[in-house]
Amino acid sequence: MAKLKKKNTNKPDDKLVSIFESIRIAVSAIWANRLRSALTLFGVIIGVTSVITIISAIEALMGSFEDQINKLGPATFVITKFGIITSEEEFFKALKRKDLSLEDKRALEKGCPDCEEIAARAFRRSKVKRGNKGLRRVLTAGATHNLIEIVDFEVGEGRSFTAEEYDRNSRVVFIGPTIVEEVFEGQDPIGKTMKVQGRKFTVIGVAKERGSFLGNNQDNFIMIPLSTYSKIFGRPRRNLDILVKSSTVEGIDETQDQARSILRARRGVKYNDEDDFAILTADNILSFFNNITRAARIALIGISSISIVVGGIVIMNIMMVSVTERTREIGIRKSIGARRKNIMVQFLFEALILSLGGGIIGTALGIAIAAILGSQISLPVTPSLFAIVAGLSISTGVGVFFGMYPAMKASRLDPIDALSFE
Amino acid sequence: MSLIEVENLWKTYDMGHEQVNALRGVDMKIEKGEYVAIMGPSGSGKSTLMNLIGCLDTPSKGTYRLNNQAVADLNDDELARIRNKEIGFVFQTFNLLPRATALHNVELPLIYNGTSRELRRESAERAMQIVGLGDRMTHRPNELSGGQRQRVAVARALVNNPSILLADEPTGNLDTSTGMEIMGLLADLHRSGNTLIVVTHEYDIAKFADRIIFLRDGQIEKEEYKQAG
Repeated sequence: MAKLKKKNTNKPDDKLVSIFESIRIAVSAIWANRLRSALTLFGVIIGVTSVITIISAIEALMGSFEDQINKLGPATFVITKFGIITSEEEFFKALKRKDLSLEDKRALEKGCPDCEEIAARAFRRSKVKRGNKGLRRVLTAGATHNLIEIVDFEVGEGRSFTAEEYDRNSRVVFIGPTIVEEVFEGQDPIGKTMKVQGRKFTVIGVAKERGSFLGNNQDNFIMIPLSTYSKIFGRPRRNLDILVKSSTVEGIDETQDQARSILRARRGVKYNDEDDFAILTADNILSFFNNITRAARIALIGISSISIVVGGIVIMNIMMVSVTERTREIGIRKSIGARRKNIMVQFLFEALILSLGGGIIGTALGIAIAAILGSQISLPVTPSLFAIVAGLSISTGVGVFFGMYPAMKASRLDPIDALSFE
Repeated sequence: MSLIEVENLWKTYDMGHEQVNALRGVDMKIEKGEYVAIMGPSGSGKSTLMNLIGCLDTPSKGTYRLNNQAVADLNDDELARIRNKEIGFVFQTFNLLPRATALHNVELPLIYNGTSRELRRESAERAMQIVGLGDRMTHRPNELSGGQRQRVAVARALVNNPSILLADEPTGNLDTSTGMEIMGLLADLHRSGNTLIVVTHEYDIAKFADRIIFLRDGQIEKEEYKQAG
C-alpha cells in the first residue's frame, strides 16, 4: 500500500522534474556561451524573418483582394461577355460572342422572379476638365441608377442619380474624391459644373474615399447615367456588364440558373453549346485568383525557406560542438544515473530554445518588415495568427529536426569513454 | 546471499587486429557492510573490474549479481537505473559539474530518479552535512579546495542511499594529509553501515579496508584479511 502510494506520487513528478531540469540545464548552457548562442540565434532569425515577411505580405495581399471582391456582396453575380480568360484561344472565342445589351437586361427583368435588382454598367476612359484644371484618362462608368444598390460604394456628399435622371438622359455626374481635389482644388463641387469629353455636366455627389489598392488609386473615377453615356459615347462598344442581386443569399445558385436560361434563350444558344456569356460571383473570382496565385505563393515561401534550412544547419553545427565540449559532463550525468532519454531531452531542449528564441524574434521582425513594405503600397498588414503559428511551428520543427542528431549522439555516448574524455 | 556475486567474469576488448583480455575469469563475493579494497598495478584490470561492478559496462562472459539481480544482460537504461539506485561513485578527478553549485551537484542523482524538489533539497543538504560541508552548499567547485571537492563527490555518492559506495583512486588527486582525511571520512561512512569498495594501486590506501583483493593480469592473485584488532 505504502509502495503504491509512493509510485503514484513519483510518476508524474519524474517527467516534470526532468523537463524543468532539462530547461534549466539548457538555459544555463546557452547563457554560458552567450556570444556563440547569439550568433546561432541570428541564423534562425534571418530564416524565420524572411519566411514570415513573405507569408504576412501574401496574406495581406490575398486578404485585401478578398475584401475588394467581397464588395460585390454574397448575393450578387455579374454577367459579362468575357468572364475569366485564361488563354489566347478563350479570348478569341469570347471576342466573337454577342455583346450584352440593355435588351438582355430587360429580358431578365421580365423573366427572372428571383432577380431582386438588376443593374448594368459600362466603362471607358475620358477626359475631365473645369477651367484650366483637368485630368486625362479618368475611369468613367455609365451605370443604371440602381447600381449603387448592388455594388458596395458609399456616397460621401450629395447623392447618386435618380431613376428620373436616368430616364431623361440627364447630364449629371457623381465623382470620386480625387476629382474633387484635382479638378475642383478641394472646393465643394456639388452643384458646380465640369466637362466630360467636352460636354458640360453638373456634379451631384461625391463618393466616400476608398484609398488605393495595390498602388491603384480607387478614388479617381466618375459615374454618369448609362443612358447619357450611350448617347455621348455611342452604343457602348465594350458592351455591358449586367449585375444581378439575388433575392436571397442561399438562392444565388438558383437565381443564376434562371438568369442563365433566360439569356441562353434570348441569345439563341443551342442546347448543346456553351453559354456565350460568363457569370461571375465573388466566390468564383476568389477561387480563380487563389488558383492562379497558388504556385507563386508556394514558390515564394519555398525559396525563403532555404534560409531556414541554413539556420537549422547552424544550430546543428553548434550543437555538435556543444556535445563534444560537454562529453565529460555527459559522462558524469550518465555515471550517476541519467538515462539516454534524459541526455537526449537535455540537448534537444537546448536546440529547441535556440531555434524557438530565433523563431519568436524572427516572427516579430517578419511581421514588422511586411508592415513597413505594405505601407509603401498602402497594403494594410496586420499580425496574423497564421503567421505567428507558422513562425513558431517552423522554428520548433527546425530545432527538433536539426537538434535530433546531436542529441542522439550525446545520448549514445558510452559513459566510460565520456568520463575519460579530456 | 551476498551483496555482490561475481562468477568467472571475463572482459575482452577488440583492438582490431588482436583481442585483449582485461579480465580473465574473476570470482568474488562481497557481503553487505564490508569494506573491500581492490588493488593492483596499472594494467591489472582493476579499472575494468570497477566499471563492471559499477554497471558502467557489461562483461563479455560470466555472471554478476548485485543484490540478487543479474546485471550482465541489462540494457543501457536499466544499467543507468542501477547506477542511480545502487551505486555511489567517487572518482579520482571528482567529476563535479563545474557550473553547478555544490548542493546542485549533490542533488543530481535525485533529479534522475524523480525525487520531488523539497525532498531533493533536504537529502542533499543532509549529505553535505555528513561530509562536513554544511557551510559550502552554494559554492561552485572552482571555489572549493581539492579535499572539499572530493567531499562534495562523496556527498553526491551518498545522497541516494546506494547499496555500494564505489571509490576509484579517491585520493589520487589529493596531497597525503587531505587524502587521509578523505579516507577517514570513508571509514566513518563504512562504520555507519555503508558497503565500501575502494580501487587503488597504493597499499597505504588499500590497508584501510577489512579485506584487500589483489589483482594481476586480469585475475585475482590473492586476498588479504585485516587481522582482527
